[in-house]
Amino acid sequence: MATIAELKAYGADTDAALARLMGNEAFYLKLIPRIFDDDNFGKLSASIAEGDLEKAFEAAHSLKGVLGNLELTPLLKPVVEVTELLRAKKEVDYSSYLDEIAAQKEALEALFK
Amino acid sequence: MENSVVTFVEDGKRTILVADDELINREILSEMLKDEYNVLTAEDGEEAYEIVKNNSTTISLILLDLIMPRMGGLELLSLIKNKDKLSGIPVIVLTTDQESEVVSLNTGASDFIPKPYPQPDVVKARVRKSIELSEERQIISGTQNDPMTGLFTGEYFYEYAERFDKYHPDVQMDAIVLGINNYQVVHERYGKQKCIELLHHIADGIRSQYPENECILCHKDVDVFFIYCHHIDSHEGRLQKIAEAVNLECSGIRMAMGIYSCVDKNIDISKRFVRARLAYDKLQGNYHNETAYFDDDILNKILFEERLCGDFQKAIKEEQFKVFFQPKFGITGDEPQIAGAEALVRWFHPELNLISPGLFIPLFESNGLIYKLDDYIWHKTCAQIRKWREQYDRKIPVSVNISRVEMHDPNLSNRLIRIVEENGIEISDLHLEITESAYVSDSSVIIERVEDLRRKGFFIEMDDFGSGYSSLNMIGDLPIDALKLDMQFLRNAFNKRNMKIIDIVLEIARCLEVPAIAEGVETEEQYLKLKESGCAIIQGYYFSKPIPADEFEKYYKD
Repeated sequence: MATIAELKAYGADTDAALARLMGNEAFYLKLIPRIFDDDNFGKLSASIAEGDLEKAFEAAHSLKGVLGNLELTPLLKPVVEVTELLRAKKEVDYSSYLDEIAAQKEALEALFK
Repeated sequence: MENSVVTFVEDGKRTILVADDELINREILSEMLKDEYNVLTAEDGEEAYEIVKNNSTTISLILLDLIMPRMGGLELLSLIKNKDKLSGIPVIVLTTDQESEVVSLNTGASDFIPKPYPQPDVVKARVRKSIELSEERQIISGTQNDPMTGLFTGEYFYEYAERFDKYHPDVQMDAIVLGINNYQVVHERYGKQKCIELLHHIADGIRSQYPENECILCHKDVDVFFIYCHHIDSHEGRLQKIAEAVNLECSGIRMAMGIYSCVDKNIDISKRFVRARLAYDKLQGNYHNETAYFDDDILNKILFEERLCGDFQKAIKEEQFKVFFQPKFGITGDEPQIAGAEALVRWFHPELNLISPGLFIPLFESNGLIYKLDDYIWHKTCAQIRKWREQYDRKIPVSVNISRVEMHDPNLSNRLIRIVEENGIEISDLHLEITESAYVSDSSVIIERVEDLRRKGFFIEMDDFGSGYSSLNMIGDLPIDALKLDMQFLRNAFNKRNMKIIDIVLEIARCLEVPAIAEGVETEEQYLKLKESGCAIIQGYYFSKPIPADEFEKYYKD
């Protein structure tokens, strides 16, 4: 089970997150693993693969909201970048962003194993 | 329109719906709000809509994510804002970007909360503010609109009507009072529920006949509607349409519409409706017409009446009211003998000259000034009786009129006795004329009151007998000492040469073993007929008109 210190070391802005969660660390630690099951990660890569940028934007946008609320900065950063590209409907190579998202997600998941 | 102020609070907490497809976001908001609110959650737009519909009266606020599967936030927002029953629920949009904020606010969101969420205190403050604002608005609209019909209530109606005038100063307007003719009777006959349905039909009818952009509508005082609308030459067609719908529900209902056409905008808005109401009141009980217009006759009448009421106090102070005495003669002997007098009031107005009692007595009866006037007349009468008693060794009883309104004063006999005592005369000096119609209006109370007066020694003359109120059935039980025949009744009988009817009425007096007094006797023929038929006492121009006190003194000297 991860600790606040580990999350801080990972790069999460735990102070901001805990302020939002009324200082409730247990609640914070309980919420984070929920994102691993979030459909929007899968939806994001699948929609990009299909070229459905609108749908991809919606998925990225949703993830941005959640990750922002949890202040998971390393994972949030590539998601925000992707969201803005998709909002502008940029036809770029998204794979490096998706890889970065997957890597950061894995690193986070490792803390909770 | 749904305007009732809903009950927001359940278990001491208001209820909030959080609609967001992200579980974590729902969890965070729930955690922030759960201490102060009951929090419901929905994962998508459709689920949120179901919850809102099923809890429309208990949800105080919706926190809404814009991007959700099945139904998006904006779609849900416009659905809610376009449903009457739901449109009052405030919605705060949860958003990550500013573009959508503008769209959301335009669609009817009351506020937005950014993502990532601000500190819990900020979220709570925004939630509280939105709920407060919306509840205030609901309270205002709750008092603004009548819950039964959705039309304006009185106070707000006047305000909106005035605003309407402000923006349309040159438009000619009509003020209309509309209702069911003899509503009380309809209510009695069909019951409350039916009446409510009828009022609903009228409200719907008014709405369809009087288009919103040129009319202000109001449901006033249960059975009456106010309409302030662009002037049209005839409202009869519209009234007919409204009446048709009402008659489908319940046939035979008569409408009444009082119209003050082309209102004078210099007079107060409520006064314009007083004028329409005066026309409306003229229709009550009139089954021949359904519309009546306020006109100069009505206007002059109220202006005249207002003047009389305004001048009343001064008239009392300056003793403009004079008591006149009309002698009554006993005609059972060979020669007519003075038998009494009736005290009658005359108003010598400094500018309007002599005003007929027929103009001011009914008016003062309707507004309560009659009590003061009666006290004044009774005092003056008793003082005069006292004066005569001191001067002449002769007793001539004088009768005063007790108006129907006076009969409802439980203190009446005390007032009379006090006046008699203050003037140092005897109760038997003062006769009371009580109109026949008073006995009928609220008979058991009135009869008890008359009996009380009689027990205390007053001589009771039933006035206006034959004017058609009392039934022969009850007359035998009435506490009376004399029967005074109605002037109009006698006049009709003589005009139609129907002498038999006079014999019948005099026979009634004989049966009751009380003397009959005939008033309004104007000719020798009438006098002789009444004498022949056994009438005991006569009053009228044939012998004397009502005369001032000093002139009356001659009867004491005879």
